[in-house]
Amino acid sequence: MQKKYSSLISTLKDNLTECDSLNELSLIKSQYLGKQGKLTLEFSRIKDSKLSERKELGRILNNIKIKINGLINKKSESLENTNKKRQLNFFDVTLPGRNISSGSRHPISITINTITKILNNYGFASVSGPEIEDEFYNFEALNIPASHPARDMHDTFYVTDNKLLRTHTSSVQIHTMLTNKPPLRIMTPGKVYRCDSDPTHSPMFHQIEGLCVDKDINFCQLKGLLINFIEQFFGKKMEIRFRPSYFPFTEPSAEIDIKFNNQWLEVLGCGIVHPNVLKNVKINHKQYSGFAFGLGIERLAMLKYGITDLRIFYDNDISFLSQFGVLK
Amino acid sequence: MKLSTNWLKEITPGIKIDNKLIESLTSLGLEVSSVSKTKKDTIIDLDITPNRSDCLSIYGVARDLFSIYGKTIKLPKQKKISVKKSQLPLAKINNIISPIYSCLAIENIDNKVKTPQYIKTRLSDYGITANNIIVDILNYVMIEIGQPMHAFDSDKINGKLSIRFGKKNETFHALDGQKYLLNNNIPVVTDSDTVQAIAGVIGGKDSSVQTNTKNIIIECAYFNPEFVRLASKKFRLQTDASYRFERGVDPLMHSFAITRVLSLLNEHTTLHKTNYFQKANKSKIKINNKIKINIEKFEKILGQQIPKTKIIQILERLNFHPVTFKNMITIIVPSYRFDIENEYDLIEELARVVGYNYFKPTPLPVTTSANIGNNNFLEKYSPYFIARGYHETISFSFLPKNLQNNFIQSSNIITIKNPISEDKSELRTSLIYSLIKTYKYNFSRQIHDIKIFENGNTYTNYNANSMKEVNTISGLISGKNYNSNLKVDTKDLSFFDLKGDLLSIFPGLKFESSSKIKTLNNSCQALIFQNKKYIGYCGEISNELYHENSIKNNVYIFELFADDITMKSSVIYKKISPFPRVKRDLTILVDDNIAGRDIIDAIERESFKYMINIKINDIFYNRKEFGEDIKSVSIEFCFQDTNGTLTDNIVNKQINLIFNHLAKCFKAKLRK
Repeated sequence: MQKKYSSLISTLKDNLTECDSLNELSLIKSQYLGKQGKLTLEFSRIKDSKLSERKELGRILNNIKIKINGLINKKSESLENTNKKRQLNFFDVTLPGRNISSGSRHPISITINTITKILNNYGFASVSGPEIEDEFYNFEALNIPASHPARDMHDTFYVTDNKLLRTHTSSVQIHTMLTNKPPLRIMTPGKVYRCDSDPTHSPMFHQIEGLCVDKDINFCQLKGLLINFIEQFFGKKMEIRFRPSYFPFTEPSAEIDIKFNNQWLEVLGCGIVHPNVLKNVKINHKQYSGFAFGLGIERLAMLKYGITDLRIFYDNDISFLSQFGVLK
Repeated sequence: MKLSTNWLKEITPGIKIDNKLIESLTSLGLEVSSVSKTKKDTIIDLDITPNRSDCLSIYGVARDLFSIYGKTIKLPKQKKISVKKSQLPLAKINNIISPIYSCLAIENIDNKVKTPQYIKTRLSDYGITANNIIVDILNYVMIEIGQPMHAFDSDKINGKLSIRFGKKNETFHALDGQKYLLNNNIPVVTDSDTVQAIAGVIGGKDSSVQTNTKNIIIECAYFNPEFVRLASKKFRLQTDASYRFERGVDPLMHSFAITRVLSLLNEHTTLHKTNYFQKANKSKIKINNKIKINIEKFEKILGQQIPKTKIIQILERLNFHPVTFKNMITIIVPSYRFDIENEYDLIEELARVVGYNYFKPTPLPVTTSANIGNNNFLEKYSPYFIARGYHETISFSFLPKNLQNNFIQSSNIITIKNPISEDKSELRTSLIYSLIKTYKYNFSRQIHDIKIFENGNTYTNYNANSMKEVNTISGLISGKNYNSNLKVDTKDLSFFDLKGDLLSIFPGLKFESSSKIKTLNNSCQALIFQNKKYIGYCGEISNELYHENSIKNNVYIFELFADDITMKSSVIYKKISPFPRVKRDLTILVDDNIAGRDIIDAIERESFKYMINIKINDIFYNRKEFGEDIKSVSIEFCFQDTNGTLTDNIVNKQINLIFNHLAKCFKAKLRK
């Protein structure tokens, strides 16, 4: 008998757990306590039992009724409470989150990073060097003697009579080759300086140079590497041309142009390391050969991101910088 | 260089002016920067690299195109004249300045004749204004074959011409109207009294040719490129002549140039007596240089074979006169090719004539990277700064003059000798100045809540020969805590936000009160240490900086010396205890001037058993209760054992030990 009633309570409890509205609750209430309710039916059966048991049964059923009422009332209260709360304060999930940190990497750094990651896959290691240089590292060792017209290509800032701000990161090649033996594969990102300032020239800008010295390094490999590099950088096939150019420290020298909007744009200078440069750093040029290439970071960043004014890179306007927030 | 295609066709009649020509020029290394049409002509603008002075003329370009086209070259008309050895109008010629010096003396020339239109047009298409027939024809021939020449009015020349270096304090009045102060590095042409020209750069005003000039001396010389360049640089004076001389002009083309000029003068004006003189010391110039190359070297360096017959044909067309013996080729460098010195130069010649497109890209052999790369600090740490809301900035290394003077001795500042402007004339000794500039820039654009960081070198002069560059990473914060949501959550950023950022990125840093850093506020600055090594500083900017920059909001900065920071490279796992942690607070009263760090250090030094963590979690003042200069410090401890669960007894015992230690060290009292 008791068992039967306790199952009644446990079913009710299950029903109540699933119930989440007052309407549903009143339905449940009538299922148990209504005219045709389960408990009402039990009450009506009292008269069918033995006289001696009737009193006891009535007491049990009454207790159950109290219990059921209690459970239903409690549920009703809790449902009303939730409703009140929701009505009082609309829970607005669209409000801003707390402590959003929206920093960003500078597009120049992002570009350097992209480049070094690609070159690193080809075995190039990143190396840095001083920005204040002697003429030897910046010019002479690179086969640019004092009287050479090629020095006109480099409007140089001097800090003393013979110390200058490096005009290219090629100087790092010299430091590296003087202290390390081939085979070498290095890349040298960094700041460089030229006495030049207008919308397309900045007195400070960034360059990265690559240098590979080994036995049997040749021009076809240089082409292979740089074509792959450019396509990986831009993420698509590009129309690329190699044309002869002149740098005192490479021979043969080439300039790479990329076709953008039907126009050839110069993006990269490269060539086979000039034997004089190898001689200057005491590497046997009969045994070893090498290639080198260099490119302007700002120029590549401008092409990649559609930036037209060079100066915006150094204004550090947060409205500009934060556009690069999602990139790494 | 502006190339008239009509003119080119006069020299190479077989050439077609089409896209192939444009492509061939670029492919040869004579980059076409633009093509424009005039009434009757097409002008190609070429960017000639400094090594290719041989292509600074129509004839020179035609000669280079021959290597591809092989079309016959037709020399322009010349009028023969033979050299006279006697009656030289030349006195002393310094043959280091000019190993070969020629001149053409002409008497009774009519310089009033109008220059023919075609010459005027070609000069103007090139960018030279027509002047008088003599000067115009000299310019015309310079563009045509590349030899710069100068005409002196011989009636204004006293005695004979000489070539020497200038003298100290000697002055020269040039035809551009300027007076130049000479020195003993400047090569000059003089008569017996005065300087008549800076050799290879510009002629003199007095002896310049005018319309009424009757008698002239035309100078046709080879000048040492180095001296011309020095003079041109010194006076910042670049002329069509100096541009060519400093890059190298064919020393063996004087008679070609003179006979060409004579032919044109004869054609367009009247003249009488002509005399051609020359003084030469050919031992002073490099001519007929020979270069030997093994034919296999071409393939070794270029990576792809070129048939031997093709190699020989190209070398022949370049006028190199190749002679082969077995695998060796010997060539003679033409007198106009100043850029050909070794076998690599020949390899480039071959590659450019074949065309760089000929060479098929091949993969670079795989290798492991040599172990020479340096650890890139910025790459490693910038993602953490960004995650904490910092924007990376990049600023110029230059600062305005005197900006740093209040904070560092001026002898320590490195200045640029030739700055582009005063506001970019000193190198920065700290990144703070750049960060403040960026802060102000953004503040004036209504961005007031700012977190920025920058990595770059700072530059300091220690003595004349010791300039030091320090790889530095610095940051600045100001305003409300970044991008907070509702107003109730916002707080002004403080020193401890900055410290929190640094400690999150570089755990274990120690901060020590300081007043040494001049750019920082005396009472709000700290020196930063990592493993007892000084690695930087942080704090609020100094009152001076607030004032100078009219900054109203609080600004905090940090500056770290990147190369001094030890980067965590690998982790060695420590066993984790499975037993519960027990937290306890201890509140003590100590003198106000005892730093929190000192209390923590004193406890940590003793390494109390089971203590795994310690933190100050409250500071409280109450003068009435504690007395003057006494503060209440609450310390939170965390205990854990690796072998079992800690009982209250054990923990209480440890807390007692710790308190006794603090009482001993700092006269700490227990707060009741």
